[in-house]
Amino acid sequence: MKSIGRWSRIGALVGILALFAAACGGDDAGPGGDVKTGIGITTAACPGSTHADRGCIYLGVLSDLTVGPFRALAVPLTEGQKAFWKRVNDGNGIGGKYDVDITKYTRDNKYNTQEHVAQLRQILPNILALAQSLGTPPTIAAKDIMEDENLVAAPASWWSGWAFDELVIESGHNYCVESMNGLDWASETFGKPDTLMAVHYPGDYGGDSAAGVARWAQANDVAFPTANDVQTAPNATAGNQDAPVAAILRVKPDVVMLATGPAEMAEIVGKAAAGGFKGRFVGSSPTYNPAVIAPTSPARTAILGLYNFVSPWATFGTNTPAHNAMKAAAGSTPPANDGYTSGWIWSYPMKAVLEKAFDLGDLTREGVRAAVKQTTVDYEGALPDKNLGGDANTNVVRQSLISKPDEKGLLGASTVKEFFVGPTAKDFSFTEPCQKV
Amino acid sequence: VRGRPELYTTYESDQAPLGTPAKRTWFGALLVGALVLPFGLTSELNALVATAFISAIGAIGLNIVTGYAGQVSLGHAFFLGLGAYTAAVLSGPTDRSVVGLGLDMWIWLPAAGLVPAIVGLIVAPVAARLKGLYLAIVTLGLVFLGEHLFREMRFLTGGPGTGRSAAKMEMFGTRIDERTEIFGYTVTREMKLYFVGLLVLLVLAVLAKNLTRSKVGRAFSAVRDRDIAAEVMGVSLTRYKVIAFAVSSFYAGICGALLSTLTGFIEPTGFNLLLSVNFLAMILIGGVATLSGSMLGAAFVVLLPRLVQEIPRLLPFVEGGSTGGVITTFQLETLLFGAGIVAFMILEPRGIFGMWVRTRTYWKAWPFSY
Repeated sequence: MKSIGRWSRIGALVGILALFAAACGGDDAGPGGDVKTGIGITTAACPGSTHADRGCIYLGVLSDLTVGPFRALAVPLTEGQKAFWKRVNDGNGIGGKYDVDITKYTRDNKYNTQEHVAQLRQILPNILALAQSLGTPPTIAAKDIMEDENLVAAPASWWSGWAFDELVIESGHNYCVESMNGLDWASETFGKPDTLMAVHYPGDYGGDSAAGVARWAQANDVAFPTANDVQTAPNATAGNQDAPVAAILRVKPDVVMLATGPAEMAEIVGKAAAGGFKGRFVGSSPTYNPAVIAPTSPARTAILGLYNFVSPWATFGTNTPAHNAMKAAAGSTPPANDGYTSGWIWSYPMKAVLEKAFDLGDLTREGVRAAVKQTTVDYEGALPDKNLGGDANTNVVRQSLISKPDEKGLLGASTVKEFFVGPTAKDFSFTEPCQKV
Repeated sequence: VRGRPELYTTYESDQAPLGTPAKRTWFGALLVGALVLPFGLTSELNALVATAFISAIGAIGLNIVTGYAGQVSLGHAFFLGLGAYTAAVLSGPTDRSVVGLGLDMWIWLPAAGLVPAIVGLIVAPVAARLKGLYLAIVTLGLVFLGEHLFREMRFLTGGPGTGRSAAKMEMFGTRIDERTEIFGYTVTREMKLYFVGLLVLLVLAVLAKNLTRSKVGRAFSAVRDRDIAAEVMGVSLTRYKVIAFAVSSFYAGICGALLSTLTGFIEPTGFNLLLSVNFLAMILIGGVATLSGSMLGAAFVVLLPRLVQEIPRLLPFVEGGSTGGVITTFQLETLLFGAGIVAFMILEPRGIFGMWVRTRTYWKAWPFSY
């Protein structure tokens, strides 16, 4: 009796161990077969997916969805990303074995660094990578964690420092290149300026843009005294833009490079024109929003007459395979603004990296990080193909487009000059971020 | 006296911090619990508890000036900011657009306390002439002044919307908060932050305990309870108010510096009145003029938002996202926070610590608990 009892106990123990082994082994033998997987990937299908035979890759989104300064852009941006990944899932997914879900771990960072880091820590145990990390300061705040966790992220920011970072897979030109190309275009179109001015926010965005102006001035032998480098702040902080307007009217520069928000841009252009300013304004891409040329906008005429903006990629209405796909995904109602376009285009590198990691047989975070260096991104014509390997100077995107406000264009803009690399940006050697943060 | 732990025959034994065997046992158990806890928590919760520890340091600081010395201060956020920026400037890299000196943690951590303490010393004589509402308004002015300075001194703070990286926990060339492998076991950044927070809290709490049961602490109480009577007895009002402000600011500065390293980034707009109010809530909810109350209150205020986030799972009408539903978690959190303060003020002015004392007394006298 005694020995039977012992054997049955041993048998039960073995049984339990076998169950444990089966449970633990489940993760390894995923639908990818021999693909190694880890955090952020389940063998179960994504929520709401019709592909029962595919596993699910969860990506996090940390965006400015409710109260932050970029919510007007960030909400359509996130919609654009959802549409992008829906198209991927409707097609082959990742290697035909995985769908991608970015909805379950979408969190609001309120464009606040503290909130961003707290939310990231919360979703960290469940995500493979970040499909969107909005804003330079929040992303920099999270860098230590990303480094520890081998977390690759697609940024929603155009800071020049990302070219030097292997975890952040950015798309399009940076603000520094943007200023160089904008000024090259202005000098080619309206004649080389004698006097320049930069009106900008501080920090990663405006600082980077102004650093580009300074580098352009140096390369082209145009004086750019510190007095012409005018810092301003959003109206929420500064109240109004009277100070930069006064500076513009005093100096009367030939070209003003703007790196502000749309409302601030409209106020500066409108008031300067009303004060008799006849020079040109070139804006960074975030300075434009179709609302500034609405019939009720007091700055409408001035903006239509004096202002152009530089963009990293073409507006929603353009005709490329990428743009046509996003138009098809958006359906009959066009999105609120080009945030949607940006969200779509910013997603290509992540897709390419995941596919590369899948091909290399390693979809763990380490595997995804290692895959970055070997990936070439195909933007379906929205941008030139981009190799993510190599050094920053080779990697940095130097192409820009020039657009103008246009009420007839879809989303209120049309392209004036197609993709080009200005002579200044072409010769510029990137050895460090234009503006260190 | 042996066998009669609560019979005190000397003033020292009456004031001893861990005077009874029960207190010693429980404190030991709590400490062991605190040392083991991080190994069972997720990184996110470790970071959250570390935030609670560090906030408790700030709450102790505020309790010294407001709870023990009776001087209402709304200016705590200013001193937190000062500490955070002192640390960031001393620790920051030297090649950025904002000033940085690239110094080690053993320099920046004490400095983050000392600089606010010195500013506290400068401000205190003004504040020492005032009390009650007037003092509250003056310290409120300090917050606004600080907010303005933090916004405008871009070479130090980066300015609003930009900010700067926080201090790095680096000692003798090595980062002490980086993830490491010890005998094959991964010690995460969050675990290390937890232990740093716990250690600094323990040290500063012991110092505070000793301060409050010393001559200075008794002078604080005298000033708080009847300033005129205290003055008649020979307690210098100015002197003790100045000490209270300086010590409180020291604690706030350390708290600010460590809190900012948790996030890794400092935004100049964060050090506002709301932050001061949060710290006031910590000591009101936790218990005025008690150290354990400060810690309980800090834990409550820091952990409440995270608890509220779990509510949508239980109550379907609460919306987990940021919009829609009958009420969002964010709104619910704000409501609960306000309601909590009101409820404590009316029902238990001594805070969570008071509730603990009542429970303890009940069980001590049990079953004769009427």
